[in-house]
Amino acid sequence: MADAAAAAAVPGDAPGGTTVLDSLGEDITRIVYPVSACMLLVVLLVSLLSSPSSPSPLSASIAAATGGVSGGGDDDIPTALITALTFVVAVTAATFLLALLFYLRCTPCLRAYLGFSALAVLLVLGGQVALLLLSRLRFPLDAVSFALLLPNAAGALALAALAPASVPIALHQAALVAIAVLTAFWFTLLPEWTTWALLVAMAIYDLAAVLLPGGPLRVLLELAIQRNEEIPALVYEARPVDPRHGRNWRLWREGRQPGADLDDSSTVEVIGEVLGRNLQANSGNSSSSQVHEAATLAGDVSNSRPRVTLVAALSSSDSTVAQVGEVSALQEHRVAVAEMSVPLIQPRPQRSGEEVVEDEDGIGLSSSGAIKLGLGDFIFYSVLVGRAAMYDYMTVYACYLAIIAGLGITLLLLAFFRKALPALPVSIALGIVFYVLTRTLLEEFVVQCSTKLLMF
Amino acid sequence: METRVAGVPEDEESGLLPRPSAAGRRPSSRGPRFPPPPAAWATVDGPLGLPLEDAEGHARRFFLWGFACLPFLWAINCCYFWPVIRSPAASSPSTFAPIRPYVVRSAIGFTIFSVVLITWATTFIVGGEQLFGPVWNDLVMYNVADKLGITGFMG
Repeated sequence: MADAAAAAAVPGDAPGGTTVLDSLGEDITRIVYPVSACMLLVVLLVSLLSSPSSPSPLSASIAAATGGVSGGGDDDIPTALITALTFVVAVTAATFLLALLFYLRCTPCLRAYLGFSALAVLLVLGGQVALLLLSRLRFPLDAVSFALLLPNAAGALALAALAPASVPIALHQAALVAIAVLTAFWFTLLPEWTTWALLVAMAIYDLAAVLLPGGPLRVLLELAIQRNEEIPALVYEARPVDPRHGRNWRLWREGRQPGADLDDSSTVEVIGEVLGRNLQANSGNSSSSQVHEAATLAGDVSNSRPRVTLVAALSSSDSTVAQVGEVSALQEHRVAVAEMSVPLIQPRPQRSGEEVVEDEDGIGLSSSGAIKLGLGDFIFYSVLVGRAAMYDYMTVYACYLAIIAGLGITLLLLAFFRKALPALPVSIALGIVFYVLTRTLLEEFVVQCSTKLLMF
Repeated sequence: METRVAGVPEDEESGLLPRPSAAGRRPSSRGPRFPPPPAAWATVDGPLGLPLEDAEGHARRFFLWGFACLPFLWAINCCYFWPVIRSPAASSPSTFAPIRPYVVRSAIGFTIFSVVLITWATTFIVGGEQLFGPVWNDLVMYNVADKLGITGFMG
């Protein structure tokens, strides 16, 4: 409460105080760990399971469906470009459809779609991967146990991914990472040129969709900001560093007995303080009191993956109003406002971060101040690293470092610009550059050194 | 709301809340007049997890749904309410009392399920063809998958 007072005293202060520096490193670490874990798992799966020489039936069907230039299944540049273009068009259409559904407030549709896609990924793709692993490792699991375990695990993980309130946070995060790993592994089964074309196309699409005024993601984000709502989506949210943001804490504060603790003058003072700070913050630098929230919807696992990014900036006054509405049912309205507003608004201005939406590039802050990253970014980072793993481990290391560097740069840019930014372009660009450089220059160097017994 | 535990000293909150300032005029200095947070959070996530009043309904729902051939829900129940199980029955806070039976029964159910499954799977793996005869080859998962042709989907 004391630092709420301190923060209230300097409402327009830039959030460069000790709180940001203290916890920003922890925040970034908590987002780099799951990205790294996802990439590691995809690299492991690719190393164990893939046979890069044989074209997969999937690529043959895609080439046939898009009327490939040469005979189906050939891995050449025109087919790759056509496939990537088709994919981007499908994703754009799906994103506009999602924006329309959100505009029409069909939240049950969105939730049902989300649930269906999560369950489908876990059941179908998860089952496939499990069967491939069992076959490759010759592990003699019997059919009865498998039939019992797979739907169980898929159902439990789908529940964990969709209802973060009912499961431990660690399990929820693990379920999201599992979905990302399975989808990324599925994408690495595409032929080589198609994968690279797809990555470049998705990076450009993200850039356009989030930053251009007519882009679908930007439309969706503005809708959410306008309505002060959150889009139901599969978004990875890092555990907030400060436990005071938790729901239990807020409800505990609500439940405290009013009356004896506050007299009328102090209540009015608090409200005046809060509103005054809101007004100052809103009129002054808007960035200090805005929170960006991005949410993305999970696409379905067939060819089209709708990518929606939503960034909602909640102004402090809006959130105050929302909380007032929320707690108006409690005993003492004024006391509840005073209790609820002060601790909740105070930490937000001190945080700067990005919102990352699934499939969308965007890093942002959730309402609890933690960094959110969309699953689409997880997936495409892992696709890049998985494809690098199909060549050699040297490219894996180089691409991993490039992607993490790109993520850090994107976080810095977000802290600087304070609006939704796509997280894919920088990382994908760096990853591709480093892949090409490693494959052409570094490998030659290392091989020559090794054969001449110079080093390594 | 039963979110307060009486008699817990104010030092409980020293790690979570800053020391209230000495200024008596500012309303935020009303810190010392507020009761401290609950001494024990029911869920493993602590202040980020489920609030106590929702916890009992949640535990019961997961326990009942686990009977629909979903024993992993029992495992989730146990993991989520780990503090409830860990606190010994005699000295656990009264707020845990409604949650405890469901969580304990979920733990028992999951233990039984896992023992049965592991026993069966181990017997199958170790016994092999000597124990089961030619049926073993029909039951092994990779043979079943090859027969049904489902591994061919992903190439």
